[in-house]
Amino acid sequence: MIEGVAFYILSTVAVLGALLAVSRRNLVHGVFALLLFFAALSGLFVMLMADYVAAVQVLVYVGAVGILQLFAIMLTEHVTGDDLRRLGARGWFWGLMLAVALPVVLLLPPLLNGEPPVPPAAPQSTARQLGSQLMEHYVVPLEVLALLLTGALIGAVAVAHGPEKDPPGKDRPA
Amino acid sequence: MTQTLLNLLAIAVPLAVGFASLFAFTTWLERKILARIQNRIGPNRISLPFTRFRRLFGLIQPAADGLKMLAKEDIVPRDADKLLHLLAPILSLVPPMMVLCLLPLELPYATAGMRALQAAALDNAVLLFFAITSLNTLAVFMAGWASRNKYSLLGGMRAVAQMVSYEIPLVLSAAVVIMAAGGMNAQAIVEAQRAQWFIFTPWGLAAFLIFFIASLAETNRSPFDLPEAESEIIAGYFTEYSGFKFALFFLGEYLAIFAVSGLAVTLFLGGGAGPWVAAYPALSCVWFLAKIFALIFVMIWLRGTLPRLRVDQLMGFAWKFLLPLSLLNLFVAAAALKLAKPWLSWPVGALVLYGAAVALSRSHRADAAPRTYSYAE
Amino acid sequence: MTLNHYLVLSAILLGIGLLGVLTRRNIIVVLFSIEILFNAANLNFIAFWRFGPNPEALMGPMFALFAIAVAAAEVAVGLALVIAVYRHFKTVDLEKLDTLREP
Repeated sequence: MIEGVAFYILSTVAVLGALLAVSRRNLVHGVFALLLFFAALSGLFVMLMADYVAAVQVLVYVGAVGILQLFAIMLTEHVTGDDLRRLGARGWFWGLMLAVALPVVLLLPPLLNGEPPVPPAAPQSTARQLGSQLMEHYVVPLEVLALLLTGALIGAVAVAHGPEKDPPGKDRPA
Repeated sequence: MTQTLLNLLAIAVPLAVGFASLFAFTTWLERKILARIQNRIGPNRISLPFTRFRRLFGLIQPAADGLKMLAKEDIVPRDADKLLHLLAPILSLVPPMMVLCLLPLELPYATAGMRALQAAALDNAVLLFFAITSLNTLAVFMAGWASRNKYSLLGGMRAVAQMVSYEIPLVLSAAVVIMAAGGMNAQAIVEAQRAQWFIFTPWGLAAFLIFFIASLAETNRSPFDLPEAESEIIAGYFTEYSGFKFALFFLGEYLAIFAVSGLAVTLFLGGGAGPWVAAYPALSCVWFLAKIFALIFVMIWLRGTLPRLRVDQLMGFAWKFLLPLSLLNLFVAAAALKLAKPWLSWPVGALVLYGAAVALSRSHRADAAPRTYSYAE
Repeated sequence: MTLNHYLVLSAILLGIGLLGVLTRRNIIVVLFSIEILFNAANLNFIAFWRFGPNPEALMGPMFALFAIAVAAAEVAVGLALVIAVYRHFKTVDLEKLDTLREP
């Protein structure tokens, strides 16, 4: 019973957070709603017996991706939504139609077929098993991921760096 | 179900109340110790009203401070973002309180349902600790942004940059201990130190020093307190906060200090281990708190002694010194754990780590040179 | 809670993410919505791992971890691109960024 209550509370918070993040004119409020969404999703992962993924979700998404987005909106304009331009892009109506239609189409098989057979026991995932699997079975994807993250780091710094100004430390004569 | 709820309350309420009163005691301790370092006496005048007790070493001072904070007018800037302005102190208080549940503090009163004060005996407690402490940066950012003040925003951005930079050496130095203990469970790490505390190994000592310095920076303590010092950018990200909200920020900061010291004690100083624990198990709680206060004493000592770091010195220290050193420490720890002759780990480990530290600091000596300025035209 | 509950939830989140991508003019909100899409997919992976037969024991968390890491890299590069675009065009409005469009 308590699991049901927890599920409904967490999913309501997640849906509300996502809706607020998508619809607010004030971007800073949007980011904090998005972070609430990430935290609610982390709670849902805990309910699904994937507690390591839940901890990583908080650490990476809330702690790093959220802060990155906050820094990025600091460096652009019109964050507080003081401007009076229209919120929606051209063609927002068909976007809304598609966004409503696609989940309905995706949900037709589960809702029509009813409940799937429930497996006997929940699978186990400990950090030790994840670590040994990463080192034995998934070592190539792990190395590729390391290369990808290094490339993303260097690329992001290079792209965001901007044009070179005057060389530093050069005293111009008075 | 009511039994689990009662157990939870019996654990959570003493934690919250106990650490809040320890916070009051720590503010008094800090003012007295700083005063003595600075060759003065510190607060000693407050007396209990309507009694004949005079002075009492200033122990009533924290209560007087709390009453003052409560009675002050709550000023919110007119253009400030009211919701975020209200939420920021609350958000700075919630993560440290959450992680206090993860520390392996053994309860003096144990009944059949709850053995340890550790409210959540999780398998990945240490990882969750770091995940939750990364929420502190959000509170700082929210405070700096919501005040609608250029200087608060600048202080907030600097504080966030500092906290994010020092998270990496913090986590890497804890990763060394996780590697040595074989798991992230706090109880398992305390058990693994039954023979020898991790601080008495070369890689453990280096990891402890890196962890301690990074934790000073994470909680914005001197000498890394650029974001909140009184002479820098007025008061940094909590310039526009007055009254009880300021007190909540203060409480959050001190609770974060308790939490991080508690983790340092768990990872490096053996948790609740100490003499006579086997005979009286209730003593392990006392030893845990005593070790936390020893670390807090060292933090207060450093605050009174060292000058403040400039922001570029701070960032350079994290990225160019602590990060390579903690990566090297991982290798040294892995080698030391697999060594055939254990006595060799001290000379080799100390040599490698000390040599690397000296080499890194020499290579960055140019950064500490006097600055050259270009004249405005 | 059964599998269908989680599937409905992740489909709703997918819809909200799509709504953000297709409807908003601000690039940064589009990036938020892409993150929502990633998270909805991760929720689906973990839900199927929890409730389904698993020939490979750890497929769900493994995939989710790799997806989280790749999403973090994508956000970093995407936001760097946004900063570069802002520096050049002085706007983050998608309707105004139309130099590649035919006149």
